[in-house]
Amino acid sequence: MWQVYFKELLELVRDKKTLIFVILLPIFIFPMLFGIVGSVMAFTANKAKQQEHRYVIVNKEQAPEFAEALFYHKNFKQMEVSATTEAQLIEAIKQDKIDVAVIIPADNSKKQNQLEQVDWKIIYNQSSQYDFMFNYFNEVLQGYTEDLQKRSLKQLDLDERALPAIIKPVKVVKVDSADKRENVGEKIGAILAYALILLCFSGAAYPAVDIGAGEKERGTLETLLICPISRTALVLGKFMTILTTALLTALITVASLGLWGMVIGGLSKTDAVVDIVQSIAVSDLMLMFLLLLPTSAMFAALLLAISIYARTFKEAQNYISPLTIIVLMPLMVAMAPGIELTASTALVPITNIALAIKELMKGTAELSLICLIFASSVAIAAALIAFCVHWFQQEKVLFR
Amino acid sequence: MIDIQDLAKAFALGKNSKLSDTEKQDVRYSKEAFHSVRNVSFSCGAGEVLGLLGPNGAGKTTTLRMLSTALKPDAGSVLLNGVDVLKQPVKARQQIGFLSADTGLYGKLTAFENIAYFGRLHGMKESALKQRIDELFTLLNMHDFANRRADNMSTGMKQKTAIARAVVHSPKVVILDEPTTGLDIMTVQTVLDFIKGLKAAGTPVIFSTHHLDEVASLCDRVVVIDKGISAFSGDIGQFRALSGNGDLREAFLSLLKRDVSAEKQGVA
Repeated sequence: MWQVYFKELLELVRDKKTLIFVILLPIFIFPMLFGIVGSVMAFTANKAKQQEHRYVIVNKEQAPEFAEALFYHKNFKQMEVSATTEAQLIEAIKQDKIDVAVIIPADNSKKQNQLEQVDWKIIYNQSSQYDFMFNYFNEVLQGYTEDLQKRSLKQLDLDERALPAIIKPVKVVKVDSADKRENVGEKIGAILAYALILLCFSGAAYPAVDIGAGEKERGTLETLLICPISRTALVLGKFMTILTTALLTALITVASLGLWGMVIGGLSKTDAVVDIVQSIAVSDLMLMFLLLLPTSAMFAALLLAISIYARTFKEAQNYISPLTIIVLMPLMVAMAPGIELTASTALVPITNIALAIKELMKGTAELSLICLIFASSVAIAAALIAFCVHWFQQEKVLFR
Repeated sequence: MIDIQDLAKAFALGKNSKLSDTEKQDVRYSKEAFHSVRNVSFSCGAGEVLGLLGPNGAGKTTTLRMLSTALKPDAGSVLLNGVDVLKQPVKARQQIGFLSADTGLYGKLTAFENIAYFGRLHGMKESALKQRIDELFTLLNMHDFANRRADNMSTGMKQKTAIARAVVHSPKVVILDEPTTGLDIMTVQTVLDFIKGLKAAGTPVIFSTHHLDEVASLCDRVVVIDKGISAFSGDIGQFRALSGNGDLREAFLSLLKRDVSAEKQGVA
């Protein structure tokens, strides 16, 4: 068995394509892609934050303090347009003459003096992902309304120190019982589990095609079969090779993501990332690896069975592409909001692994459930390996 | 010494597979299965070269695959130097060297590694393996490309490597399935010289071929398989005698004709 194992590994190491898929992709290309996407998002968000919004106020003489405050805000720039009605202002925004318009009613100050509520209107394009403008507008408006409130209270002969209690009789402070790790784990854990399991699959798929169908296509299978070595040993040797590359791909990815995370964290001096990485115990990582082991074994056995059935590389690849989608489904389920790790979800293959990895990242995993998942996954993996060995004894599979 | 008695092998047909008209005419097709080999018997002694002849699809490859233990026969027996291939397949495999024209090599491995891999799978010790490979490299004049990867070899180099790989464990019997089909003249000569070498060393060789000149120059015995049945089994002299003038081609064709006429009589 080990003869087969070492020979297959030697062949894979000499194959440039394997190196690209198993090593280069996770070490450089994935982090680079993540980095590029992240920095682009940060850049556009920053730009949106800094942006200067062109505005007009209709009837600004009705609220001069507000108009003045807006005029001096660094994110607003006053424009002059002839439009005064709502329709005209919308048209002006569409023509990109202004970004935002505020309509103050003509009887604003009169109503205010009579202590009546007035309706203002703000017109702007709300389809953007970032709505910083409205936040700025609110800041200005809040300062303005507070002044108005104080003035009104004076008018009513009330002590202005009672203002907070009148405006907001109850103030609520939110205290989060989840620690930082649980919060971040919930967000990162799901994506990490998704990436890890998918990488195990892709790390297994490439060598599986080569080791199974490749043996047929090259015409080496027959010679191999008549060697005085049992077919079980032959399958297990090949299976171990695929398992190795699958786990290696996942391990390298995690290590490289961790490393890059540290580098970026060190550069940007954000301690949050470092804190979380440090709060994850080695035992948690070991458990994650332990869970990936039967998962990779499942993939390896299944892919080897498919590959050995196929006559050519191409046929094998045709079978494997739809399988990728089948593997994706339970992963998507695990990522869906509201799906929690329970005794029942712990029995759904692949989904359970993804959920368990998330729990481990959050630091809230129940050991009994993890054991259940491990046991059920090992059982499935063992069944698939047994099937693969049985499959390999079939003449109709080997000589099609 | 190889002794084969009443070998038979059928392949199950898929439920939905439709037979073409030509296939329906073939007597070997039944509703459930294709009886590729129905009844093949022959034997080959030490130092003898046996040529296996027959039209395409006659069952030659299936017969040789059963001989080499890659396929399990449904009926019959195969004895290799007294070892029953069916009962002790692993022991039998140690005695067999197998090669076909489309036998491949691992492209990423060198000639040496390709050969050594199979030597190790045959349970050879490292020192003995090195010595044996060195011997084979000298014999086949392969030292120049011993460390070249199979991907970068010429067809001739590949075939030499495949030959060395097939006999690295010093097999007691060598089985060759159309070893010369599709090869250039120089490479064919390498294969033929190699068979001669085996014959001189007293190793029985069974090989299937479509080239009657190879049969004429090498073979001691001839077996003709047609529609899964060994239609002829005897020495080269008996085979020649089948035609009036000693021409091998006529002898071969007369066997197939006899077969067809016998069938027609059976139908009538």
